[in-house]
Amino acid sequence: MSAAAPAIAVRDLCKNFGHFQAVKRISFEVAPGEIVGFLGPNGAGKTTTIKMITGLLKITSGAVLINGLDNREHLAAIKKKIGYMSQKFSLYHLLTAQENIEFFGGISGLAPRELKASVARMGEQVAAAVLRQKIQDVPPGIRQKVALFVCLLPEPEIILLDEPTSGVDPEARRLFWSEIYGLKKRGKTLLVSTHNLDEAEYCDRIIIIHNGEIVAAGAPDELLRQKGKASIEELFKDAIQEHGQD
Amino acid sequence: MKLFFMVKKELIEITRQKELLFLMFVSPVIQVIILGYVISTDIRHVPVGIVNLSRGQAAERIIERVRRSPLFDVRLESRHSQDYLYPLKKGEVKAMLIFRDALDRKRTVLKYPEVQVLMDGIDSNTSMIAAGYFNGIIKNYILNDMEKLGRGVPMAGRPVFRFNPQLRSINTMGPGIVAFLLTIITMFLTSASLVREKEQQTLDTLLISPLTTLEIYVGKALPAALIGLVDMVIGLLVVVLWFGIPFRGNLLYLFLASLVYLAAILAYALLISVLSATTQQAMFFAWFSLMIFLLMSGFFTPVENIPPLLRLLADINPLRYLIKIIREIFLKGNGISYFWKDLLALGGIALALVSISLLNFKRFISK
Repeated sequence: MSAAAPAIAVRDLCKNFGHFQAVKRISFEVAPGEIVGFLGPNGAGKTTTIKMITGLLKITSGAVLINGLDNREHLAAIKKKIGYMSQKFSLYHLLTAQENIEFFGGISGLAPRELKASVARMGEQVAAAVLRQKIQDVPPGIRQKVALFVCLLPEPEIILLDEPTSGVDPEARRLFWSEIYGLKKRGKTLLVSTHNLDEAEYCDRIIIIHNGEIVAAGAPDELLRQKGKASIEELFKDAIQEHGQD
Repeated sequence: MKLFFMVKKELIEITRQKELLFLMFVSPVIQVIILGYVISTDIRHVPVGIVNLSRGQAAERIIERVRRSPLFDVRLESRHSQDYLYPLKKGEVKAMLIFRDALDRKRTVLKYPEVQVLMDGIDSNTSMIAAGYFNGIIKNYILNDMEKLGRGVPMAGRPVFRFNPQLRSINTMGPGIVAFLLTIITMFLTSASLVREKEQQTLDTLLISPLTTLEIYVGKALPAALIGLVDMVIGLLVVVLWFGIPFRGNLLYLFLASLVYLAAILAYALLISVLSATTQQAMFFAWFSLMIFLLMSGFFTPVENIPPLLRLLADINPLRYLIKIIREIFLKGNGISYFWKDLLALGGIALALVSISLLNFKRFISK
């Protein structure tokens, strides 16, 4: 594939659950090294789209290309390139933070020495006592930190984060986004879904999705200028009203 | 190596739940002991009533034998004919023995009295067994009498009970309880495992990881198999040491049969886990299946008693084969040459269940 191929290319993607159409022919691209915010209210189709990109959900029609490879044909190869963090942080509640790291590192094929180093790296970010606590007993901010850490263990090129900041306090959110910037600097591509509109300012581009359709897409400043709006919130409300509210 | 991490994670999750630990390793001991005493077809202290209207010695001698028998507990003795029905109807006694003099055509009193045995048929099993014992007492009395008089008995069957000479029902039930224990623990543990992953959304992370479908599948089944085998050993120790059931066979055969059985039952439990949306649903399916498996296994009643149409279900019930094999190994000390057909059938069922379950798992993750 040519170097110019987008990291993620979504083409006319549809997902039906019985008669209900959750995602309606959406298309967008994410360039390598870009942070794209996937904005929309609950039930807009963000998680469904992300799950189709990861291959966790079967595509009804359309296609998803990861680095130019169709995810229906090259899923095994694509799995090695992507990292995914789900809404509930997807950690094992009864395992300690350290055990979670060792487990996810272990199934990602990390050698024992690398696993030890990973735990030590996490130990630099959180107190040693926290590492030994069960995940169910640690605050959501720490849980989020551990979840992102384990998602990054296999060193994925493309990172898909589904509502990573839901349920965490503003300070943890700020720290989280600074970490996201750190990842971008390391050349990672990020698609981050959120319903917190103020997080749009952290993104290179945003895609607003509503009722399974893309209602606006572009760089946040550019969109505000184009639509003559003062804030993302205004822009968001306007876009949703334009496409009909439920 | 990835499988090692999967198994380790499963074992940590299981062992970190203290209540579950109790259920896995302490409750089997309690279960085996309770089941061993409760699930018994032996009859002891059956409450009986006696109405003796005979004036002869024979009736009194037979009644004395009934009084001395540990099988019966004589609750009522009367010489009035009107006393026979009410205690039976009220449930005070399960059987009523009525003796009256037998007369010939000339109304002369004969040597042996007439005996009527009225049984409470609601508990049909106990009634059948108790009726057999009564007949035995009467028959023995007559035979002894004839021998004393020097009259030979033209023919008499003398049964010899091999493998379980005292006909203790615990000897039959005990090995079955071990098989049941292996089923209950593994079925409940495994049927909940994948659903739990769905509920806490960790299944998505597993599916997106480099783990293969087979590694996830085996990683889920192996820990339950290990725990099941530990529980089986606990169960074996209890039935052998507590109940004194002799283990006459080869332990290796027992483990071989148990491993084949585990493949079948774990595949079935994983199928439940794939098809269920919540832990509650999985538990209900597991409980329902367990009841069917148990009732169709020959554990309580012989498989031969099952009507032909339902026999088909019994024929594909893996527990049926394990119970049969365990009893063969345990009580008869039989080797593989005696039960290879059952083992082969069990293997076939295991293969079919693993294939169906794995296919469903693959179909589920590619939705």
